[in-house]
Amino acid sequence: MLNLNLYINSAGIISGAGNNMSDGFLQQVPDYSAYALTTVEPDYKEYIPVMQLRRMSKAVRMGVVASKTAMQQAGIESPDAISIGTAYGCLQDTESFLGKMIDQDEQMLTPTAFIQSTHNTVAGQVALLAGCNGHNLTYVHRGHSFEHALINAKLHMQQYPGSHMLVGAIEEQTPNSVKALQYAGAVAKENYTLEDVLAGKLSAPVCGEGAAFFSATEQPLNKQSVKVSALDVFKADTTVAFERIKQFVAQAGPFDVFLSGANGEKTNHAFYQRISTELVTGLPVTSFKQLCGEYPVASSFALGMLWHRVYPGLQGNFKNVLLVNNHCDYYSCWKLEL
Amino acid sequence: MSKAYVVHTGIITSIGNDTAACLQSLLEGKTGVGKAEILKTHWQNELPVAEVKLTNEELAQKTGVSADWPRTALLSAIAVQEAWTPYKDKAAGLRTGLFSANTVGGMDLTENVYKDFITDVHSVELKKIINHECGAITEIVAAHFGIYDFVTTISTACSSSANSIMMATQMIEAGMLDIAIAGGADSMSRFTLNGFNTLMILDKQPCQPFDNNRRGLNLGEGAGYVLLMSEKAIQQCNAKAICTVSGYANANDAYHQTASSPDGTGNKLAMGNALKKAGLQPADISYINLHGTGTANNDSSEGKAVEAIFAGNVPMASSTKGYTGHTLGAAGGVEAVFSTLSIRDGIVYPNLRWQTQMEDINWQVVTDLKTGQNIRHVLSNSFGFGGNCSSLIFSAC
Repeated sequence: MLNLNLYINSAGIISGAGNNMSDGFLQQVPDYSAYALTTVEPDYKEYIPVMQLRRMSKAVRMGVVASKTAMQQAGIESPDAISIGTAYGCLQDTESFLGKMIDQDEQMLTPTAFIQSTHNTVAGQVALLAGCNGHNLTYVHRGHSFEHALINAKLHMQQYPGSHMLVGAIEEQTPNSVKALQYAGAVAKENYTLEDVLAGKLSAPVCGEGAAFFSATEQPLNKQSVKVSALDVFKADTTVAFERIKQFVAQAGPFDVFLSGANGEKTNHAFYQRISTELVTGLPVTSFKQLCGEYPVASSFALGMLWHRVYPGLQGNFKNVLLVNNHCDYYSCWKLEL
Repeated sequence: MSKAYVVHTGIITSIGNDTAACLQSLLEGKTGVGKAEILKTHWQNELPVAEVKLTNEELAQKTGVSADWPRTALLSAIAVQEAWTPYKDKAAGLRTGLFSANTVGGMDLTENVYKDFITDVHSVELKKIINHECGAITEIVAAHFGIYDFVTTISTACSSSANSIMMATQMIEAGMLDIAIAGGADSMSRFTLNGFNTLMILDKQPCQPFDNNRRGLNLGEGAGYVLLMSEKAIQQCNAKAICTVSGYANANDAYHQTASSPDGTGNKLAMGNALKKAGLQPADISYINLHGTGTANNDSSEGKAVEAIFAGNVPMASSTKGYTGHTLGAAGGVEAVFSTLSIRDGIVYPNLRWQTQMEDINWQVVTDLKTGQNIRHVLSNSFGFGGNCSSLIFSAC
């Protein structure tokens, strides 16, 4: 368990349940009409000149606008450093260049898609647009990409106390990425409803995507700041994971609400229920993946939701939040203080 | 707070399958750049590359893993095995992490089945695409060696593995881990070769870094890792420190997605902040292992940044990319190994194929092998796309 003690002071979020730019965060019911949840995107023209916008893939657009929103809310033009997580990176541009390379037998290719296909494109664009010459990292470690970006923020602040960092996560889905994940059995092929997800009836989770960026500092900047006080990250099977979560609860507790990363898939749902009944018995439980879908950096959406003090299905105010997330055996346990 | 000590290395590149073989090639001035034989591409006869001349099956045999793995993972496993084997049985109870980096993931496999994937996904064997992600490469290598305490993957283009060494050092310094295997890997792929080719920065001949008439870079492949330990781990494992990672810094050029700023803003920040972290003056540096890709843009920006930081007193400096090509996500790891050997053996590598002094810089690279040197501090630069610039400093103990 790491005592991070970082404060999240603002959030820029684009998700399947709306964004917190033009349309008011979580004002929209996610669209379950297809087998995957796609993001409700803001009107980018308000944030990015049209000429630049035309060249940007969805991942870059979402990342740039989510980061701008987080910076505006925190009252900064540019952060001191940038730390980003994205497991899949810029899929749209990768596929674009790959498809043309194969169709054209490696000839007459143009560089734009290749340039924008690298995993650090979003972090690079954010730095470029904000004129940020500071530390800049991109983590691509599956279901821990966002968590590692946060740990990196802590490491950076230890070296440069007082840094105001931008920490974020981004994942875009494409028809082909969803197809590949379906083939691997990692996401659903069928259409489900939000109620199905909450009931834990799914044979595979609903594929999601999204962007969430945050201002992060060592001291709170406003009354809404959320403290990430402790974080534990590990990859494990459910037996080992259960014991590790038990340890985390004992060390970091007590908590007064449990934010579950349950994604609706049957065994996954049962695992979170077991945490609820055996490890945090009697604690109010809420969840978030019915709003954003399952994707490697979905914990960033949960953090944004908490920053907005939203607890789906629950009333009241909470102080100490236990967040447990699991993406394909990549677990993270969080203690968040509101 | 413990320092992070380099106690061992692991490497595979076009100039050798382990540390000793790479060192031998460096001493002999033997380049790994040549015709592509393993990679099948339209550009086979036109674009030289620095390939590891072993098939995937031959690579897999070296570590006993599946030949179905992406080539990047096969290369990574070989270098991790070399770095970790002498100590893996001595590290009981110590917290060990794998910090890796790559840019290409499993693209070498994906690109061969992509057409079929588009037509009919079920015609493609799942094993050909299941490890496509960059993170999957590190995941399967870490699992093979039973490393679980902390495992991560960084992807910041050509500076990727310098950043994984930086993070590993920070975590050891902060007492969060005792041992870290840190570096990166990347294999050749048609995707990368064609991508760089569209940017018109590939040399059709063996590259000439820091030469006035340089034409571009040659892509290479490989993997390089340093084994880092805390003082506690060194004692328990009865290991001997070669050097420390004394300085590190990451900065962003914030100038252009692929090009470096003319005066090397990010480069200067990275080198300057790494010196500050190490508590060193520019005059303390004995040798600079340059990023030196051989492109007009990189070498000019880096050259000017070095000139500015070292103000008329540039130490011995050379690029080793004339030997290994540009190994992208592996480059920082590969060059960390070369920097370590420079300190251990008191050597400075010649910058291969240098002929003509660059007009826009006032200092010269080392062109002959230097031996018997007292190398105290080595600065290693890794700069990349997205404006990512990182510098590491290795210091003799």
